[in-house]
Amino acid sequence: MSPPDPDGPAPDDIVGRLKSPRPSDQASGPGDTRTSDVSQDNFHNSDSKGDLKALGRDSAQLHDKHPAEKVALSPHAPLSGRDAAIAERKVAALFGVAVLGVIGFLVTFFAVEQEFGVPGNVYFTPLLGVFMAMALGGIGSGTVLWAKLLMVDEESVQERHPFGSKPEERAATAQALKQGIADSGLPRRKLLRNSLLLGAGSLALLPLPFVGFLGKFQHKERILATTAWREGARLIRQNGTPVKLGDLLIGGVESVYPDVEGGTFTADSPALLIRMRPDELELEGQKQQWAYQGHVVYSSICTHLGCPVKLYETQTHNLLCPCHQSVFDASHGAKVIFGPAARPLPQLPIFVDDEGYFIAGGDFEEPVGPSYWERG
Amino acid sequence: MSHLEKATDTTAGWVDERLGAAAYVRKSLNKVFPDHWSFMLGEIALYSFIILLLTGTYLAFFYTPSLTEVVYDGSYIPLKGVTMSQAYESTLYISFDVRGGLIMRQIHHWAALLFLASIVVHLLRVFFTGAFRKPRELNWVIGVLLLILGLLEGFAGYSLPDDLLSGTGARIFHGIILSVPVIGSWATFLIYGGEYPGTELLDRLYALHIFVVPLAILGLITFHMLMIWYQKHTQFAGPGRTEDNVVGSRLFPAYAAKAGGFFFLVFAVLAALGGLAQINPIWLYGPYNPSQVTAGSQPDWYIGFLDGSLRLMPNWEWTGFGYTVPFNVLLPTVIMPGLIFVAMMLYPWLEARFTGDRAYHNLLDRPRDVPVRTGIGAMSVAFYVILVIAGGNDVIASIFHVSVNAMTVAGRVALFLVPPLVYVITKRWCLALQRSDHELLHHGIESGTIRRLPSGEFVEETVPLPLVYQLSLNGVEAEALDHSSPTPLGPGYEQKPILEPAPEKNGFFRPRHGSTNGKSPNGKSPNGKSGAEAKVAELEPTGEQRRNK
Repeated sequence: MSPPDPDGPAPDDIVGRLKSPRPSDQASGPGDTRTSDVSQDNFHNSDSKGDLKALGRDSAQLHDKHPAEKVALSPHAPLSGRDAAIAERKVAALFGVAVLGVIGFLVTFFAVEQEFGVPGNVYFTPLLGVFMAMALGGIGSGTVLWAKLLMVDEESVQERHPFGSKPEERAATAQALKQGIADSGLPRRKLLRNSLLLGAGSLALLPLPFVGFLGKFQHKERILATTAWREGARLIRQNGTPVKLGDLLIGGVESVYPDVEGGTFTADSPALLIRMRPDELELEGQKQQWAYQGHVVYSSICTHLGCPVKLYETQTHNLLCPCHQSVFDASHGAKVIFGPAARPLPQLPIFVDDEGYFIAGGDFEEPVGPSYWERG
Repeated sequence: MSHLEKATDTTAGWVDERLGAAAYVRKSLNKVFPDHWSFMLGEIALYSFIILLLTGTYLAFFYTPSLTEVVYDGSYIPLKGVTMSQAYESTLYISFDVRGGLIMRQIHHWAALLFLASIVVHLLRVFFTGAFRKPRELNWVIGVLLLILGLLEGFAGYSLPDDLLSGTGARIFHGIILSVPVIGSWATFLIYGGEYPGTELLDRLYALHIFVVPLAILGLITFHMLMIWYQKHTQFAGPGRTEDNVVGSRLFPAYAAKAGGFFFLVFAVLAALGGLAQINPIWLYGPYNPSQVTAGSQPDWYIGFLDGSLRLMPNWEWTGFGYTVPFNVLLPTVIMPGLIFVAMMLYPWLEARFTGDRAYHNLLDRPRDVPVRTGIGAMSVAFYVILVIAGGNDVIASIFHVSVNAMTVAGRVALFLVPPLVYVITKRWCLALQRSDHELLHHGIESGTIRRLPSGEFVEETVPLPLVYQLSLNGVEAEALDHSSPTPLGPGYEQKPILEPAPEKNGFFRPRHGSTNGKSPNGKSPNGKSGAEAKVAELEPTGEQRRNK
């Protein structure tokens, strides 16, 4: 493997040095018949000097011309003498930092108050982080420095081995597989084969009920298409107070929920009551009846992906969804004017009851929120 | 004999009497790993995962995956008396009442971000250097699977605290599943345990997050590492480095010490981040409420590309025969990522198909030497980056005072315009770099010494590039070189190139020229100039070929 060396290995040459047993190779005595891929001959060092010589270059001349060449190949030569002593002290200092970090961490952990809101302890978590980083980083950087400065780390070469097996090997294995299948009798015994297929196939059905039972499927279409709004349900705020005609000024908005059991918690019922000048509100057909004196209620569940649409711009009557920037025009039936949403926000029919409170005229006429397959 | 040596003998002897592992252990200790800074990237991912397991276990001791409503009565005063889910309450408990809980949470979150970031960068390294080629295609596929699992794991963990931000994410996820034709609504009922928000989501995400997905990741990582061990790591071309060997450090002690030390360094950086850099302050977001959302809601960075594709998508929806297909959701979040991941997994075979290159490769490519692949990679990165930018278009719009709509429209245009442009530029750039290498090999380095020739002409002397760099630049096997005739280094003379410069490579191809040893890796027939290669060269003559004509 070693390339021909015209000058012959010098005694201090690393290639030559490597040929002597390494400490880790001492286990290999004469009787060692290891077949591993790291026999001694597999290693040769490609340190700059030796390698350049090996490659047939006049390295001395090259070195004179280019001093940088000397560090070209193997910068890992460990330090020695005074340099090594200094390096050792550096590494030791870093390990010492780790000790300090652990002490600091323990002191902080047990001695510093953690209670939130008490002055001074905003430092608790940052201090833990700093000391932890000292402890871990001291060990880490110390070890890396040790490896870089003080460990013998010459460049080694190892042979790769072919990945595929020998053709005979492959054929023999295939033969063994085929023989095994034949020995099992599966190819010959048709009844056995067919009943096994049937049995194993039916076994696959066994976990299906468990998967199916993860969900509750009753009236899927109806559940997805309906909300908690009922005819006559008052429009209430999050805190439960009903909204009265005149509570909102022109340009005002209010988040409203149905006044039914748990109405403020249901995920599909939140709606937005908007008041604008009646002449600004241009609704089509029956939807005009669903508004009341410039008051209009839209579902605030975005028809794109269900984020609450509540950012209302009074001047333009634009409703913006903060998740993916769909924009709806509240003055024109919440039709989509920009963004990825495909459908207008459904409008809730509202009226005013005898006491002057807003009530719903029924549920939304179409499903609220994101589209789905059965929506139609 | 020192105490340490004695102890080593005793312990090793004890183990070997029971396992007989001496030969295997020695072989492993001597295993050679090539060194290059970019080989650390995968290590960072591995170490982040270990740190995720450690910190995550601690968090699991305190977290409750339940949507049951409770009234908060913990240390964080601003939320006292607020009704919230048990999941959110236990996360607040970890943050404020468990000693060191907050730093654990923050290290966990930072580690998750780093885990995915290092996977992505590692993947880019593997792609651009061609490390996925035969025989490592399977490991590439495992890597892509790990990326997908990492995204899932990240999303599940992100959703667990049940704060306003993650709840919004879970709601968007609901809409995405709902958009799948035929099975969409069934699937949401399965996952959420009923109509949204359901009662089961967190229990299921928790089981996935702490058991199923980590186990799958662990299994795949094990397989990933075993394959690296068995196949040996790839290496860059250089002196003495061939397709048939591996040049580097032995595992023990230096390589092991560096790798081990590096684990602690990664952990130290994450600990510092976890302590000093606040992340996901869920107590500021408040508990999830389906009727609330904050402006500027952003997912973690690794989900950002899906959010961006959602924002850029026009509002297409198909309705017919009583059914609806919401392409505005289906296309950007289900079909597009599906296609991307399938294409990623198939890429090694696609490239082999188009180049006809089915040889073993253990030497890495330099990106410039395979301009087409590098172009494809750069194009994909551009596509991805545009999507990520689009995912934050509202934030960018508000910072730079531009309209969100303009950002979206610009993003739509850029998504189709920029990647092809990037492809062309990258490819030309690679070819130019090849030429500059060629120049260096031919003419050497300018010495700064001007010489006047007898004819009166002034010429600058050049010195040939040091052999080490020639070998690295050329990317050829050292063994393939003719070592017998060293060229004299006379300054000022017309230098005959010491190495035959690599011809310009215009595609995926790494032509092997003048292989003197005639031996290709693993005893297979040498990968000569294939038909496809000749064809491309014919179609697109490079500058060099043109000059030769």
